[in-house]
Amino acid sequence: MKLFDLIEENPSLLLMMQHFNIDFRVGDLTVSQLCNIEGVSEKLFISIANLYNGFRPVENPIDSVDDLRQTIEFLRNSHDYYREDKYPQISSYIKQLQENHPEKELKLLEKFFYEYFAEVIDHLDYEDNVAFPYFIELINKKTSSKTDLYSAKEYSEHHTDIELKIKDIKNLLLKYVSISDDLNLRRKLLFSLFELEYDLYIHSLIEETILIPFGYNIEKA
Amino acid sequence: MSRHQLHITIMVHSPIIYEGLHTVLSQSDMDCVICKVDSLDDLEAILHSKKVDILITNPLLLVNREKDVKRIRKNNPHFSIVGINLGIVDSHSLALLDSSFTIFDTTEQVLSKLQKAGNNNKLKVTTNDDNLTERELDVLTKLVNGFSNKEIADSLNISIHTVVTHRKNITTKTGIRSQSGLTIYAISKKIISIEEVDLH
Repeated sequence: MKLFDLIEENPSLLLMMQHFNIDFRVGDLTVSQLCNIEGVSEKLFISIANLYNGFRPVENPIDSVDDLRQTIEFLRNSHDYYREDKYPQISSYIKQLQENHPEKELKLLEKFFYEYFAEVIDHLDYEDNVAFPYFIELINKKTSSKTDLYSAKEYSEHHTDIELKIKDIKNLLLKYVSISDDLNLRRKLLFSLFELEYDLYIHSLIEETILIPFGYNIEKA
Repeated sequence: MSRHQLHITIMVHSPIIYEGLHTVLSQSDMDCVICKVDSLDDLEAILHSKKVDILITNPLLLVNREKDVKRIRKNNPHFSIVGINLGIVDSHSLALLDSSFTIFDTTEQVLSKLQKAGNNNKLKVTTNDDNLTERELDVLTKLVNGFSNKEIADSLNISIHTVVTHRKNITTKTGIRSQSGLTIYAISKKIISIEEVDLH
């Protein structure tokens, strides 16, 4: 299967490629050829592409230290995308909207978003600095205390919270807060929120169906 | 967009403004029926028998009538209040309005605002499934004012369990889960006024 055809079917795979650090100019390369050139596990690549296409993996696609590193690298890159691209973009749309319309709800919406954004940054930092290094240590068998640092439950609860607040903002804009006109800006904001929500959803699926089960298996071994 | 006949009620004391509005509206191509009331009490009385889509009023006539306005809105969820800004408006009364125009606005601006207020009513009709019960509104108001579940339970004389149930229902009906989100919801729905919320 050529990557070009896959991208035509689902352009959000471009975002996935970006998280894998793969350039968009794919030429006529097949998935297998591209993965070979880029040094990415083909199994992992296909599993995540399937997630983006709506299918959960039937078996865990990672089985080596290197696969784990690649998965973590992928998640770290998604963090950069949230931190440096998506959240600043949404934030600037909300700011613009607030400046264009005098309704006080928008001032509150902006405040809500900023507080939420700060929570998200905390969470991303926590994963980058605590959770991911723990996985690396775990697989290197350097750690003896396996339960203190990291809790799968806490991990997924964090994520749920992050996704729910995005839903709140979307619902407020689609159902309740009345703003006159400004459809271009409002559409851009809503599209951004949907894009973010979608990527966050895949992000937590990767952690829940790939990373965490793999960690458990290592712990048991 | 299909136009529908708008039932507009005007509540102003100044005959000049009433006549002016009446002329602007009747000479426009807006399909509307105009009537006049002298007070909120009169308005409430005619609301029993007549349809009113929009009330046009001087916001000063709403000063200290917040409770009455809220009651009228609750009983008539499909109507809008448009204020004529005559220069002096206090923020409390302003919060009671859906929209406003000034006496310096052009005829087109005034008509477009009224048309929009009328269209908003249509939206209100279709998004009615979040209608909260009296009790849920009580819980919501306390919640957005920062009360804990226990404090809400104590002040309303109900069990914490009941508070939790109300909160679940509020979230199911509104689709909003977080406290900040519910605060914005409550303001958008004019359940609380912005002055009741600490912006900092």
